[in-house]
Amino acid sequence: MIDENEVSAARERLAEKQAELLHALLANGPAPAGFDEQRLGVEKRALLSKRRGIVRVLGPAVADELGDRFRPLFDAYAVEHPRRAGSRAREDAAAFAEWCRAAGELPTHRKARWKFWRSH
Amino acid sequence: MAGIAELGVGIGWRPEIDLTVERLPGVDFVEVVAENLHAGHLPESVVLLRERGIPVLPHAVSLSLGGAEPVDLGRVEHLGEVAEAVGAPMVSDHVCFVRAGGLDSGHLMPVPRTRDALDVLVANVKLAQRNLPVPLALENVAALLEWPDGELSEGEFLAELVERTDCWLLVDVANLYANARNIGTDPERFLDEIPLERLAYVHVAGGVDHGDVYHDTHAHAVLPEVLGVLGELCSRVTPPGVLLERDDNYPSDAEIASELAAIRAVVTGRQG
Repeated sequence: MIDENEVSAARERLAEKQAELLHALLANGPAPAGFDEQRLGVEKRALLSKRRGIVRVLGPAVADELGDRFRPLFDAYAVEHPRRAGSRAREDAAAFAEWCRAAGELPTHRKARWKFWRSH
Repeated sequence: MAGIAELGVGIGWRPEIDLTVERLPGVDFVEVVAENLHAGHLPESVVLLRERGIPVLPHAVSLSLGGAEPVDLGRVEHLGEVAEAVGAPMVSDHVCFVRAGGLDSGHLMPVPRTRDALDVLVANVKLAQRNLPVPLALENVAALLEWPDGELSEGEFLAELVERTDCWLLVDVANLYANARNIGTDPERFLDEIPLERLAYVHVAGGVDHGDVYHDTHAHAVLPEVLGVLGELCSRVTPPGVLLERDDNYPSDAEIASELAAIRAVVTGRQG
């Protein structure tokens, strides 16, 4: 049996390693020691591609409107805004659309126009 | 702990293929993604399958049991509620971490194969088990990178996990193939090292070869090489169940039926 104090110490050491890896993969943090840089790149691209695909499925209208700009814009957004623990994929899709509007990449009056159209 | 029920050949139930799953011949059991279901209002299709007596096994993707933090009991409770709602004999998640340092990777990340990581995983699994109404099976993941300073092989790591927690194993043969391709691990050594008497069932899935990397996409056909790893497993033990996972880019009913038939042929030793 392992006692509670030992597990707590193990948790702390593990937390540091896992956080370092996720910051490198998701938020352009420095590469953690001992990892193969090429493999880190492969993993980074795979995680980004998965996240981009989910946001595309959840917000097809935004992806369609951006067209060829969707991918580079999403990739720039993603590294600036890594997904926070506890956040939902839908919040990610909404935050990306908002980020695009703030950057002038999408029209800002979408909601108002939609309401105007609906009221007729 | 009692033995595991015979499950047969199954498929992952997904809303996009609910009618397909209902009408396919030879579906002995299904899996549902626990996070996508609410115990209070199950999809009609899942209720129908239960009424037919098809076992429904909740499969979780978000417990982050290999994460450094104590397992989130809210997530465990939800998994348990779904298990009770569908009358499941067992639930599962992965040997992985999802969240760390305040970030969510959105994916099943491999854990370092160190004593520290194993001790934490064991503590988290025991806590989850105490809060679940049915046994827990844990699955090997596909890794695109290898942690440095591993102290145990993946098989040794899982063997010790089973010994210390009495959990069951869900062996994903597509992940074994992916790891062999991507990080050079040996599926046969893995199968030699794990306690096969604790095998609950097996996952099979398709993927795509991008030259330098094999991606376990669950959105492409199952490769013959993956069925080869299943055959290797079946030469050692008769698995209680084998389940096909398809999550996207859904093919015709006929194609899914033929993949299930190919799996059944390997399990019964009658492949061409």
